[in-house]
Amino acid sequence: MSLDATFTREIPLIEGRSSFKEIDDVIAKPVESKPTIKWWIAIGISSTALLIGAVCLGLTFWYGVGLWGNNQPVGWAFDIINFVFWIGIGHAGTLISAILFLFRQKWRTGIARFAEAMTVFAVMTAGLFPAIHTGRPWLDGYLLPYPNQHNLWVNFTSPLLWDVFAVSTYFTVSFVFWYVGLIPDLATLRDRTTSGIKKAIYTVLSLGWRGSNRHWQHYERVYLILAGLSTPLVLSVHTIVSFDFAVSVIPGWHTTIFPPYFVAGAIFSGFGMVSTVLIIVRKVFDMEHIITVNTLEKMNKILLATGTMVGYAYGMEFFIAWYSGNPVEQFAFINRAFGPYAWAYWIMISCNVLFPQLFWFKKIRRNIPITFVIVILVNVGMWFERFVIIVTSLHRDYLPTSWAMYYPTMYDIGILLGSFGLFFTLILLFARTLPVVSMAELKAVTENAQPKHHHNGTVE
Amino acid sequence: MDNIKKSLPDSVNKKGGIMLLSGVIILLAAFVFEPQRAFFDYLWIYMFLVSIGVGSLALVGLEYLVGATWSTPFRRVTEILASLTPVLIILVIPLFFGLHDLFHWTHHEVVESDKILQSKSPYLNVEFFSIRTAFCLLLWLVFFFMITRNSEKQDLDGNPLYTKKNIMLSTIFTPFFVITITVTSIDWMMSLEPHWFSTIYGVYYFAGTVVASFAATTCAAVFLKEGGYLDPRIKNDSFYSLGTLMFGFNVFWAYIGFSQYLLIWYADLPEETFWLIHRWEGSWMFVSIALLFVHFIIPFLVLVGRRAKTNIGLLKIMAPWMLFAHALDLYWLIFPTYFKGNAGFSWPELSFPLIVIGLTMIVFKTVSDRKNMIPVKDPKLQAGLDFHL
Amino acid sequence: MFGRILNKFNEEFLKSEPRKGELFAVSALYDTPDQIITAAEKVSGSGYRKFDVLTPYPMHGLDAAMRLRETKIGWVGLLAGMSGTTLAFVMIWWMVGIDYKNVIGGKPFFNIPPSIPIMFELTILLSALTLVAFLIAVFNKLPSNANPLMDTEFMKHVTSDKFGIYIEAKDPKFNQSEVKTLFSSFGASKIYDINSVAYDEGKTKNPILDFKFIGNIIGIGIVTALVSYFILNVLLFLPPFNWMHHQAKVLPQTESKFFKDGFSMRKPVEGTVARGFIPYEFKGMHDTMIVETPNPLPVTKKVLERGKNRFDIYCSPCHGYYGKGDSRLRGQFPVPPTLHSEKVRNWKDANIYHVITNGQNVMPSYEKSISRDDRWAIIHYLRVLQRSQNAPDSDLEGK
Repeated sequence: MSLDATFTREIPLIEGRSSFKEIDDVIAKPVESKPTIKWWIAIGISSTALLIGAVCLGLTFWYGVGLWGNNQPVGWAFDIINFVFWIGIGHAGTLISAILFLFRQKWRTGIARFAEAMTVFAVMTAGLFPAIHTGRPWLDGYLLPYPNQHNLWVNFTSPLLWDVFAVSTYFTVSFVFWYVGLIPDLATLRDRTTSGIKKAIYTVLSLGWRGSNRHWQHYERVYLILAGLSTPLVLSVHTIVSFDFAVSVIPGWHTTIFPPYFVAGAIFSGFGMVSTVLIIVRKVFDMEHIITVNTLEKMNKILLATGTMVGYAYGMEFFIAWYSGNPVEQFAFINRAFGPYAWAYWIMISCNVLFPQLFWFKKIRRNIPITFVIVILVNVGMWFERFVIIVTSLHRDYLPTSWAMYYPTMYDIGILLGSFGLFFTLILLFARTLPVVSMAELKAVTENAQPKHHHNGTVE
Repeated sequence: MDNIKKSLPDSVNKKGGIMLLSGVIILLAAFVFEPQRAFFDYLWIYMFLVSIGVGSLALVGLEYLVGATWSTPFRRVTEILASLTPVLIILVIPLFFGLHDLFHWTHHEVVESDKILQSKSPYLNVEFFSIRTAFCLLLWLVFFFMITRNSEKQDLDGNPLYTKKNIMLSTIFTPFFVITITVTSIDWMMSLEPHWFSTIYGVYYFAGTVVASFAATTCAAVFLKEGGYLDPRIKNDSFYSLGTLMFGFNVFWAYIGFSQYLLIWYADLPEETFWLIHRWEGSWMFVSIALLFVHFIIPFLVLVGRRAKTNIGLLKIMAPWMLFAHALDLYWLIFPTYFKGNAGFSWPELSFPLIVIGLTMIVFKTVSDRKNMIPVKDPKLQAGLDFHL
Repeated sequence: MFGRILNKFNEEFLKSEPRKGELFAVSALYDTPDQIITAAEKVSGSGYRKFDVLTPYPMHGLDAAMRLRETKIGWVGLLAGMSGTTLAFVMIWWMVGIDYKNVIGGKPFFNIPPSIPIMFELTILLSALTLVAFLIAVFNKLPSNANPLMDTEFMKHVTSDKFGIYIEAKDPKFNQSEVKTLFSSFGASKIYDINSVAYDEGKTKNPILDFKFIGNIIGIGIVTALVSYFILNVLLFLPPFNWMHHQAKVLPQTESKFFKDGFSMRKPVEGTVARGFIPYEFKGMHDTMIVETPNPLPVTKKVLERGKNRFDIYCSPCHGYYGKGDSRLRGQFPVPPTLHSEKVRNWKDANIYHVITNGQNVMPSYEKSISRDDRWAIIHYLRVLQRSQNAPDSDLEGK
């Protein structure tokens, strides 16, 4: 497996030579066996977090959004921070499954299914926040343009509405992409299982897939097109999220670089979360030879690249703020670095720009414990980036008489905790009910999986 | 592996020479009649050649950085295009005589009465400006020589050590490239309107540069293949990735352009909108609409299909098309400062295609004469030649 | 009880008795990709039409070996996407450009730039959903769990670790022994006869009249109707889910059943006074008729700062910051006489109060916008201004 001189040979994706049956056995094992103590403990923790969040949310519904720390001038706080955070995390999944597919990067195979599932769950978690922060969430139906009794339509000019369309589309398409990828694996599980009730469920869900190459032909084309659609989709979703801020006139928000900056940041934070989860999963489910150190190293390189892009954006914002000569803009950035929330700013800078620079060094890229620490710091840093952008720009904008401080309440923190609980609970449930690696894709990229001779096709 | 080395015919130099010479004469004539306009034309030419030269160098670096193999057969073509980079050092000199004609902020009286320009003067002053330009050029020059020299040396013995060295050089070069391209675009183009600013400007020029570089390599590769100068083992399928990346980065360019436009349009702040308004006044409106169609809508519709990107005949049209589109893009960025109220195009502007094409032809022929057209002993070459859809 | 349900499922879904139906196809399993490719090529080349190759993953070169034509599903995606773009554009244009026009941000009713994000999203959404729907239902004709190949040894292998090929008995060139020989010649590891499942005729001739079926349909219909009724007619109107239909407020100009005169809209009760605004005794009266009450506020720094603050807000637009009449309106509004004139300096505080409250000539009444205390504070500040313009010498001699 050494990176020796022949760059022609791709590093094998599964270490050792697994037969197809072995692949099935290893990947289907968590689905077919009883949960371990480790799993029970893990889901116990995540469910507790989820429960705390649910209680805080229930109280919020009953008493109103006044329970949160939001107030003038910081009218948007944890609700939007968490929304942007979780949507960003979803982006890595789509990038891994769709974009790396388009770039023919075979190393994605070991992690693509898991990443897609993470996207679906992250978007579900993210979608909660716009829904609950409307103040009267039971009226959320009005967000959609349907003919209602007030004869009113929605405000199509508002990026908040573009968000409604973007996030719904993102969730739907990601879910569909994930499900389509699952169909062949569900068929495999259907044919392996020794439990009648599971057989019934898999039979229904696999739609009678039988591995027919006539079906594979259409399937592969649809998969390619879905990947091709998901790529601009994922870029557009976080772009539209960035528009929520950038179309305003608030200093620190209204700046043209927000769209690509947010997208790079989203990929960055998403990869941080994917790495975090995968490092845990490969250990817990004995998949170290499928989710290899090579895979993790490649992910770290992407982390380095996107983290540097985020750093570029920080630099550009800062420079142009000075260059513009606009005193309000200049103050916004000085306030970020030296004002009352400076501690958040410096957490952001160190976690997003400084620590990932360690990934320049190959030894560190291939060192799992250090990687684990750095990627958790990336998650923290990216949460704080949204905190800094939203809170510092709102708490001190144009009119000094309106300046005030923002303090989160325990309900804010409880709901944030609950969102992590929801996400991890869904992941843990997923890991035991569906195969976390795509069996079909993995088999297709093992050695000797594809025919050796080039058969000249006459029809194309 | 045998050297399929067929030098380009001398007629390339002849034709290129005639074009270059006519272009220079036109430019000099323009300088006599309308010196300020001549400098704007020259700036247009310079920024385009920066896109092609430095952009091509960045593409070479990108291949090493991500370990791509499909591009290896084409890499030498890109390296030859990157040879425009050292030429830039000579090309930039006349521009320095035009600083006063190009940039408001070089006029002391203007700056003295303008508080905003005064606040920018620590950055926008001739001394620092020159140092920045020199630094960028020097950096590009150093990396150009180091990377291409390693690649050339590898032609002799195929030693994978050169690849390793170039990977390291490319890894260091890439962040510097991003920064220097940003600085160059801000200095030489954004500061034409010194009251205006946009944080995405560097990314916008970067996107256009990448598209133009892919287009340039595609254009050169297609013409070379048709003339039989390219290794016949390179199949049509290999062009697929060139076409796809050109297409993809073009969509990226449109995305960046749209983001900038939408945000400025939406917030409607007078300190920003005037830049766009200048590009909508009079006949500039048609140029803006043309840019949208020529640079994005038409290439998108033509190249979106899978087959389109392996169709050499189609690429032969679309690659030069994208180069033209990039030229239009730069025209749109630069000239509203000079042609206020209405776009202008007349005989002085003809110097652009003549000088750009002529110079590129001469540089390409001269450099390709003493190199192989493909990196013959590159360890990744075989994998690149084996590429098929 | 749970165990019984599980057992029932096991019975239904895991049984594997030999099939009694007619021969559906002959199938074969192979171990290597090259074998299956060869088999596919030869079978498709021999003129068989009703055959298929089954693999656990998509294999390169198999489409060509089977002589399949290129899939047309891409066009579905393209058309669906374009209709998404059109739908979004037309929807937005009609809703905000025609049906209910709103001025937002001072921009035209319908704008293209902000419509682009939604146009883009709907393109992707419609394209993706249509593609998948067509893939499953139209192109692949799934779900098809009744296919005889399901639940066979053959199927168990092709979804896991081997490659399979079968030729249907219905194919015109089908001959059972010929096919078996053909398959063996490629090196098949196993050859199967796949029989169909024989279904019971059942008691009724027409399956639609089956009691269970009709009973289920009626049951589902009733349940659906009840649930829909509950959600749409009851749940949606429970507070707070009532979609603002029934609001506990009085609509203007409706008849009132509460008041004798039937008016919903009421005047305030006689003698009601707004807070902070006790009616001015001398409203509308001439200056000479007022009682000159002294300024009730003490002259403290706080009062003066308040007065300055209010003066700057309310008085300076016309009177200027120094009361000279040099306002920043610069003649766009009639210039008031200076407040440093003898007349005004000699006025008592109550006179000034009278002018502020009453208005005078072009100056409107500020009764409703400045509270009483604030008016007195302004007057104190005005005295400060007046003193500043007419300071006695003693003020200047550094005291």
